[in-house]
Amino acid sequence: MGARREPEVRRRGLAITGLGSFTGARIAERLLESDATRRIVALDLRLPRRLEGRVRFHRIDLTEPTADTLLAEVLEKEACEALLHAAFFTDPNPDVELSHELEVVGSLHVMNAAAAAGVRKLVVTSTAQVYGPHPDNPGFLSEQHPLRPQREAHALRDRAELEALLRIFAQRHRDMTVTVLRPAWLMGPSYDSAVTRRFEASRVVTLLGYDPLLQFLHEEDWLDAVELALERDAAGPFNLAGDGVLPLSTLLRLAGKSSLPLPHPILYRAAYLDSLARTGDPPAAFWDHLRYGWLVDSARARDELGFEPVYTSQEAWMSFVVARKLRGYR
Amino acid sequence: MSGDGRGRPSGGLPPEALAELRASVRALRDELERRFGPRESLPPDEPEPKSEPEPGLAPEPALASEPEPWPEAELPDLVDAPADEPGWLERTARELRQRLDEFDVVKVYEALRERVALPGRGDISAEVDDFGLDQRYLERARSWLDWLYDTWWRVEVAGIEGVPDAPRVLFVANSAGIVPWDALMIAHAVERQHPTRRRPRPLVADWIATLPFSQSRLARIGAVRACAENAERLLLANQWVIAFPEGQKGALKPFRDRYRLQRFARGGFVPLAARLGAALVPVAVIGSEEVHPILFEPRVLRRLLGVPVPITATFPWLGPLGVVPLPSRWRIRFGEPVWFDGVSPEQAADPLYVNRTRERVRGAIQALLDEELPRRRSVFA
Repeated sequence: MGARREPEVRRRGLAITGLGSFTGARIAERLLESDATRRIVALDLRLPRRLEGRVRFHRIDLTEPTADTLLAEVLEKEACEALLHAAFFTDPNPDVELSHELEVVGSLHVMNAAAAAGVRKLVVTSTAQVYGPHPDNPGFLSEQHPLRPQREAHALRDRAELEALLRIFAQRHRDMTVTVLRPAWLMGPSYDSAVTRRFEASRVVTLLGYDPLLQFLHEEDWLDAVELALERDAAGPFNLAGDGVLPLSTLLRLAGKSSLPLPHPILYRAAYLDSLARTGDPPAAFWDHLRYGWLVDSARARDELGFEPVYTSQEAWMSFVVARKLRGYR
Repeated sequence: MSGDGRGRPSGGLPPEALAELRASVRALRDELERRFGPRESLPPDEPEPKSEPEPGLAPEPALASEPEPWPEAELPDLVDAPADEPGWLERTARELRQRLDEFDVVKVYEALRERVALPGRGDISAEVDDFGLDQRYLERARSWLDWLYDTWWRVEVAGIEGVPDAPRVLFVANSAGIVPWDALMIAHAVERQHPTRRRPRPLVADWIATLPFSQSRLARIGAVRACAENAERLLLANQWVIAFPEGQKGALKPFRDRYRLQRFARGGFVPLAARLGAALVPVAVIGSEEVHPILFEPRVLRRLLGVPVPITATFPWLGPLGVVPLPSRWRIRFGEPVWFDGVSPEQAADPLYVNRTRERVRGAIQALLDEELPRRRSVFA
């Protein structure tokens, strides 16, 4: 990659794949707010209304077989210095094949295109769920811990596969900084996912006899972390979570919600039927996250990324609860 | 809502918190006014000549933060008022502002706070430490633990004065039984008898994490799943830790093998203590190995249920009663601490050194047991 055409001029362009995702859209808005002249190259199927005329939009379908060539051409033409890859489904998509095509094969296209176009910085949004909730997890997982997503969680298995590919990719392209962010469950006033929707119910289904410790990351802290990852040259995976942990029962009591504890064999079977019916609900594997611990230690992000979460886990949770209450949810 | 803001039940909030809340409500109001037009355009403090006298709208500068109630009967009149009526715009604007005031942050916040503090009606607090220790829950459990300690098992403690007042102490004890009674009692003994009043965190068998109901309760009173990462994190945070290196083999050993230490499966405690400069304190618990006398542990059941199910003298014969531990008399003896002052990191990682030290500690605990056992006259008296 030594033959870069503009070695002196700082290539300030930032490409974002998956502008329609929460992370992609909000990062674009944030960067434009702080610097309206910032050149942001948006790559997605459609351009969100809010960003019309403010970003340089290119329609690219990552599931197409030639997406890598197209993408490389765009990145080359727009002289992009960094690439934020956020083209992932927020929730596990019931369409397993499409999900795999986009999240693994599509990401492979993105990686290869970035390498071909001489992008110096690649930031990929993953999740702390890739560690998998297991009874034998240590209290806090570090980045060295092996990724063990459950067999049934196809979306998480795809993500773990992608992370393995990224590791090999990063070894091959040592001149590129590849950063992978693994946030805990995001919470906040505006973030919406299958997880937050589950907690919006007035009676939250829990697993009888289990009261796991949970941690959250506030959406603003998450966006701060993504911005930091784009700015700093810190490579590798980074766990991200707010300070402090709370048991599920305490969280529900803080929110003034009642819980509906059900025996886990029933829940797993019901969730399995759900996934057969493709209702789009999280698969049976979701319930493991309310059964066993999967807390992460974000010490590395603090040391190397300068990540300083403003909100604790409890504050993130409360900001989610208060925002939903004010909007009339009960 | 009463007209006077002072009449509002403030939910037992301290005055400074209430003042803070009022300030934030005022800030929110200013923000609303900034967005929906300046205050001068709406004369809220002087009743309109056309409208009836409204007591709630009398100027009350001191209570600017308190929303005024809009008299219910007024609303239809306002809504139905013809658009060309003079003052209509102002009145509608004012109604809007009243509506925004009903967007009552104080009320929501107070309702939440009431639930957060959980005074009187809750047994849990809104904060736990990294491993789920809940001080309020522990406080409640303490009377029950005291009863077990004083009345049920009549625990005697010896050698506690030998436990150093060091930032990091790792207790190593013999274990018995599925239910970690011994862990709870050692923690309790140290907290009650040691001058520092520190409560060590017991490491409990990791398969208990798969066991419903028990895990969350144990975590709230301070137990932590046994694994090297957790022990290291606790010691790094200068907590005292109790380890049971016999592991599952110790928990399931049959009654005939009582007080015979099994092999130390996870010798991880030696390099850990050496690396972190923790003092290793051998602990012998007499009495704990009689509370659930295990006759045998059928493999068939373990395969069928996935968890070990020991057949004890009382379980399952007596049903749920069989889980009640027998009231033996206990004696907890703390041994001489082992220090790792001159040990280099290389030495701490040397498997031969680790094994030698491990066996030394095991021998120390066994010696304490052998010394104490003949001294007691009877198991229960």
